[in-house]
Amino acid sequence: MRPRLAPLVNSTPFRLALPLVALFSVASLLGLAAAFAVTQRSFEQTVRADLNQDMAGFRAAPSAGALSQLVEAEARDTDPGRMILSYIAPNRRHYGNALIARTAEGYHMVSPSAEAPQIAGRYLALTASLRGGQLTVARSLAEIDALRDVFQRILLLSLVPAILLSLSVGLYLAQRSAARVGRIAETLEDLTGGNLEARVSPASSWPADLAQIGAKVDAMASAQDASVTALRQVSSDIAHDLKTPIQRVAVHLDDLTRAPSLRPKDRALVDTARAELDGIVSVFHSLLQITQIETGSPRARFAPVDLGTLAETFCELYEPTAAERGQTLRLIPPATSPVIEGDRGLLGQLLANLIENALRHTPDGAEVTVSLETTEGQALLAVADTGPGIPEAEHALVLRRLYRMERSRTTPGNGLGLSLVASVASVHDAELRLMPNAPGSDQEGLRVEVTFPLPHRSEASSARPAPDGNAALIGAGWSASAR
Amino acid sequence: MKLLVVEDDATTGPYIARGLREEGQSVDLVTNGRDALIQATSGHYDVMIVDRMVPEIDGLTLVKTLRGAGNQTPVLFLTSLGSVEDRIGGLNAGGDDYLVKPFAFGELSARVAALARRPQAMQEETVLEAGALRMDLVRRTVRRLIPDGEAEITLVPREFALLEHLMRRKGRVQTRTMLLEAVWDISFDPMTNVVETHISRLRAKIDKPFGTDTIQTVRGAGYRIDV
Repeated sequence: MRPRLAPLVNSTPFRLALPLVALFSVASLLGLAAAFAVTQRSFEQTVRADLNQDMAGFRAAPSAGALSQLVEAEARDTDPGRMILSYIAPNRRHYGNALIARTAEGYHMVSPSAEAPQIAGRYLALTASLRGGQLTVARSLAEIDALRDVFQRILLLSLVPAILLSLSVGLYLAQRSAARVGRIAETLEDLTGGNLEARVSPASSWPADLAQIGAKVDAMASAQDASVTALRQVSSDIAHDLKTPIQRVAVHLDDLTRAPSLRPKDRALVDTARAELDGIVSVFHSLLQITQIETGSPRARFAPVDLGTLAETFCELYEPTAAERGQTLRLIPPATSPVIEGDRGLLGQLLANLIENALRHTPDGAEVTVSLETTEGQALLAVADTGPGIPEAEHALVLRRLYRMERSRTTPGNGLGLSLVASVASVHDAELRLMPNAPGSDQEGLRVEVTFPLPHRSEASSARPAPDGNAALIGAGWSASAR
Repeated sequence: MKLLVVEDDATTGPYIARGLREEGQSVDLVTNGRDALIQATSGHYDVMIVDRMVPEIDGLTLVKTLRGAGNQTPVLFLTSLGSVEDRIGGLNAGGDDYLVKPFAFGELSARVAALARRPQAMQEETVLEAGALRMDLVRRTVRRLIPDGEAEITLVPREFALLEHLMRRKGRVQTRTMLLEAVWDISFDPMTNVVETHISRLRAKIDKPFGTDTIQTVRGAGYRIDV
């Protein structure tokens, strides 16, 4: 697996490497520049010394004529590419291998073309008035220019590979550390997802800082694991401590009904008490279950669940219940049935609660529609009804535990249905939304949408065609009963 | 049937034992895990009913130990918890079924009866009979013999599965939760009486038109087709 470059360039090791590389480059450049300057200076000084010496030799000539001859003689043996001799005699005649005329005495630079087109490169010249004429001796600076080329090559051959190398090493280190940081991130993600057994377990080869973070994450995970275990223990203790007496009450009530002397009036009383006890058990069980979903690790049990099949099962299960009150329960099957990662039992309960809720809070003859749609990367499950709906202001409240709307106090239910739906949705990373089904009408109805993320797989494996034959069969059964 | 009940609660334990004895079973009641281990290894039981939280040796360890020693007696766990983890833990330890407290006695009794029969391999019958009702499992048809011939009854697939389940267990009570598990693969109890509605639809097809009473309601327990 090749990590992408952009996140690596943005990583800590690379960001640390970058200024170091820049600093190293600047230092190298400065060093090279200084070395070049020093070398150039010393070379120039040598040339100046040579020029002075040359000049001293010519000064020895006794007359202009002798000087002219000396210059001529020297010039014949001298390569103008290395050294130029130019003497302008008092009679304006020129001797030497090139002509350089100057108004002022002293050192100066001679460039080709302007004064002496036949020469190439730069020259340092010394001009002096000698024996009524003007003598100029110039030495080529080609060696200095060659030195500059040498320095440029040194620069190219040393600095550029060094920069490239250090950047590559930086990237390599970034990649290595990215793998470690990735492992820490993965562990944290697993922990957030409820897998409290996830650990970083840093290897001894890890750098101290990352190893320390890894060890701290592991310590935190262990602490969290321990506290969740403790919490589970507490909730199981509470469950045990309360359920045993509830069981006893059930036993006593059962014994009471067996008593032969029980009057019918008392028997009715016992039945009421039993029904109340069932209510207590139902609330208790739901609360315990929500706590278990939220503190437990249901994700550890996640497996592929076909939402289409599940919706079919539950619509079919509740269809006779709906028909008893003249209600219609319809399933709009998806073109392809979405398969999500989840807990079939919990998802079934989500569906059951949504359908029960819709059937319970809508009048006789109402319509409840379960639909399933697969959009890009998501599966949308919706349960919509044609009942009175829930005022928008109460949408958030109904998801709360034990909240019951004023008008639904008289209908059965324990006020935990939708909060259980919310916690099941949340554990599946699904988004739960409540909205009016038919906005604006006097019976707005309620539409509950649960949007599940589809696992990142190929289209073929995340959805399968709906079992048309079966769906049609069940569908036929419903339409018959709906009338 | 010989049953071992492992339950430490002073009200629930005797209640279970008494109820089962009234049904004609022979019941031994122990109140801690150590006694349970001794009893289970010395006597031959058809089914053991084990509370998960009993003193000395907890129910889970008890069953694991027995299974490790080669004891294959079917076990029904009683538990206060009832979370999925809890259920899976119990089944992994070697439990065969699971009942969450508080439970109705009818539920316990029906499940114990089911466990006791479990080892028998299901006979490969192709036609099931109950009185004048005939169920052909190969041709997926249901008929009732009437004085002047046969009446064909059309069932939707789920009604067929429900009837088949009951017919295969003639004489044994099937509770609502047992039916939900077997026919719909649902392991939680919905608040609405969904099973009743399906049973009454089934009755409307196989019993009502003929004035018969094939599927009987057992008060406080479930449904049964009589032998």
